[in-house]
Amino acid sequence: MDVIDPPPVPVTVVRSRPKRMRYLVAGGLCAAAVLFLVVGGLSRNIVYFRTVSEAVRAHDHAPADTGRLRMAGAVVTGSVVRAADGVSFKVTEGGVTASVFHHGDPPELFKDGAPVVCEGRWQGDSFDSDRIMIKHGAEYRPPSVDPNPAR
Amino acid sequence: MKGALGFGGITLGFMAAALGVLTMGVGIHRRDGRIMATGRQFVFMVLLGAVVAAGAMEWALVTHDFSLAYVVRNHARSTPLLYTVAALWGALEGSILLWALVLAGYLTVTVRRLRARASEPLVAWATLVGLVVAAFFFALMLGPANPFKATSGLIPADGLGPNPLLQNHVLMAIHPPMLYLGYVGMTIPFSFAVAALITGRVGEGWLLETRRATLVAWAFLSVGIVLGAWWSYEVLGWGGYWAWDPVENASFIPWLTATAFLHSVVVQERRGMLRVWNLSLIIATFCLTILGTFLTRSGVLNSVHAFSQSDIGAWLLTFLGLAAATGIGLIAWRGDRLRTPGRIDSPVSREGAFLANNLLFAGFAFVVLLGTVFPLLVEALRNEKLSVGEPYFERMTVPLGLALLFLMAVAPALPWRAASGEVLRRRLGVPAWIGALTMAACAVLGARGVAEIAAFGLGAFAVAGIVRQYALGVAATRRAAGVGWPGALRRTVAGNRRLYGGLVVHTGVVVIAVALAASMGYTTKREFHLTPGQRVTLQSHHFTYLGTTRHQTGQKDTVQARVRVERGGKELGVYAPALSIFPNAPGGSAIGTPSVRTGILRDVYLTLVASPDQDGRITLGVQLSPLVVWLWVGGGIIVFGTGIAVWPARRARRRSSTGPDPLDPPAPPVPSADEMLQEAPA
Repeated sequence: MDVIDPPPVPVTVVRSRPKRMRYLVAGGLCAAAVLFLVVGGLSRNIVYFRTVSEAVRAHDHAPADTGRLRMAGAVVTGSVVRAADGVSFKVTEGGVTASVFHHGDPPELFKDGAPVVCEGRWQGDSFDSDRIMIKHGAEYRPPSVDPNPAR
Repeated sequence: MKGALGFGGITLGFMAAALGVLTMGVGIHRRDGRIMATGRQFVFMVLLGAVVAAGAMEWALVTHDFSLAYVVRNHARSTPLLYTVAALWGALEGSILLWALVLAGYLTVTVRRLRARASEPLVAWATLVGLVVAAFFFALMLGPANPFKATSGLIPADGLGPNPLLQNHVLMAIHPPMLYLGYVGMTIPFSFAVAALITGRVGEGWLLETRRATLVAWAFLSVGIVLGAWWSYEVLGWGGYWAWDPVENASFIPWLTATAFLHSVVVQERRGMLRVWNLSLIIATFCLTILGTFLTRSGVLNSVHAFSQSDIGAWLLTFLGLAAATGIGLIAWRGDRLRTPGRIDSPVSREGAFLANNLLFAGFAFVVLLGTVFPLLVEALRNEKLSVGEPYFERMTVPLGLALLFLMAVAPALPWRAASGEVLRRRLGVPAWIGALTMAACAVLGARGVAEIAAFGLGAFAVAGIVRQYALGVAATRRAAGVGWPGALRRTVAGNRRLYGGLVVHTGVVVIAVALAASMGYTTKREFHLTPGQRVTLQSHHFTYLGTTRHQTGQKDTVQARVRVERGGKELGVYAPALSIFPNAPGGSAIGTPSVRTGILRDVYLTLVASPDQDGRITLGVQLSPLVVWLWVGGGIIVFGTGIAVWPARRARRRSSTGPDPLDPPAPPVPSADEMLQEAPA
């Protein structure tokens, strides 16, 4: 591929082979380093999305893993206790219940039975949340009008 | 009736696009200019079809025609007129209709502009490719995304109304069309790039034809992104403006590749290099707009933005695959013609800087794209749901952004081919010192954060360089032409609109970068529990909770908390953050509306986190964010700069469209800024 017509304006000296090689190697190393950084950054910042039953099962399986995750379930009726710096409650899904402590005020529509997604990490056997989202699916409309096929 | 009319419009659009493709194909095959001219006419039919369809939809919305399913889902009798009109782009089917309308508009303008040269192979092929894309979008509406589907069963007396999030800010009426004008505009350079590859005319011709269209589309995309951030800030009430949400990323990734393209085309125009790279970039940009549409409109993401779900995903993915395969295949096929004689002589040169800029932009786009699609890939492959946290994006993109800011400060001052140390010292010495002193001053004044201080310093460096370039250019024009400062400024800018407009755009980018650094680095956020009459203080701002008021309309039920804001004994006014419950949204949907006091130095951002409990106590969110308003101002500066760059030069405007490209007027009587810089005294 080096056999091309000479440049019309041969002002510059065509780079010698070793120098080109060096550029290629340097470029390859840079690309590898960038890829390494990107993949590393990605794997360290993954937030898993799990339902309560999945999250509890995974936690029982590997209690030392306290990476951030989102846990979806419904607020257990009568379990909400307000504290000075937050609120503690239980969430349930698939017949499994977990205790959650949320730092800060829960959002407006947080109440008994509300479907919530808590984001945080396991702290022993309690889930330490710093963000609660009220879940109405990706679609806020009722299923009767716009069927939302189950994933 | 409106349904039939609208569907008729879509059918007309599709037929016209398909027949146009056929006719152009036959014309090109037979090299018959008359057939091609006929094929060209079909573009106008496509536009007519799109206008009829969009008009029928607006008519149905405004007249509450609930016999159409789309109207039922996106409109209610109580919806204000503005949001009724905006409902056209509130959901999937309507936004595809808007897409088709905008595309038809772009095609019409392009075909009209180049009417004298319709039979040239490049233009003919580009028209054909544009019509293929149009045919696809009309086919979408004939198939899975028919906006005119009739309501099944009884026609209801009232509709559900638009999504609550989409009906409480004016920006929602402007932001999506802007974004679409940007997205769809990328089809034009894509069509010409594909045409260039097919015809083998891979030189600079296609770039010159599409230069202005690309810039205009880019400006719309930029405005769309900034307005989206603004809307997020004013409406969503979480206090931020950018969350690295997949939908935001979907608009940002093509912007990154388009920005890279705008820079690297200069190298090709000037030195004939980077041909493969430029073709790849614009094809990638087009594919990324389709990917963005797929991500946002197929419901594949579980995100606050992804409102719609349908089987349109498969169609869009197939089209994306076809577009990408066509592009890659054509580039591989034309590989031999794409080799260019030029070489980059020295990394410290204008073209070297452009190359570095492009690598950074490409890396940036890759990082964001990976973070956006990674959850989808994992879900598809391992059936596990996850999301990529914001820290990933922040940690990866901040260094890239700072490196780009540095290049922006240095590159415009570099000469082509190679720079000597002497030239670098002369051109960059003073701006670099200004940048360094700014950093030192920030550090001494107690600014925290390396990235923030670096952003301020590099921003000062870049702006100082821009001011220097303007000052030298204007001074030289003044001397040469013997006119006053205002006249000299006008002549200088008119002499090289692209350079001086580009520098204004750079200024806008610096303003945004500084605002980003300040507002992300130095925001204070607190939540307070307040009973009426209670007063709290945060950073010498005092907040007094006065009480709440309730409003009830058919559309929503709103609780407003009135809060008096004072600073240093001066009253800044009474602000009313609100919470609205939308009864039309079953299950109840609560949307907070923040109340923002916008200031030149800082915004006071109030949110009602929780409405009064049984003791009358509310939770008030207070956030003090510096310089946020400059994000929007920066967006305005970018538009202004792009306007300067694309504005036709006076002489070219009088000439026919077959004349030289107006962006590149013949040499003005005064030396161009580039030449002047070469000779500028120290």
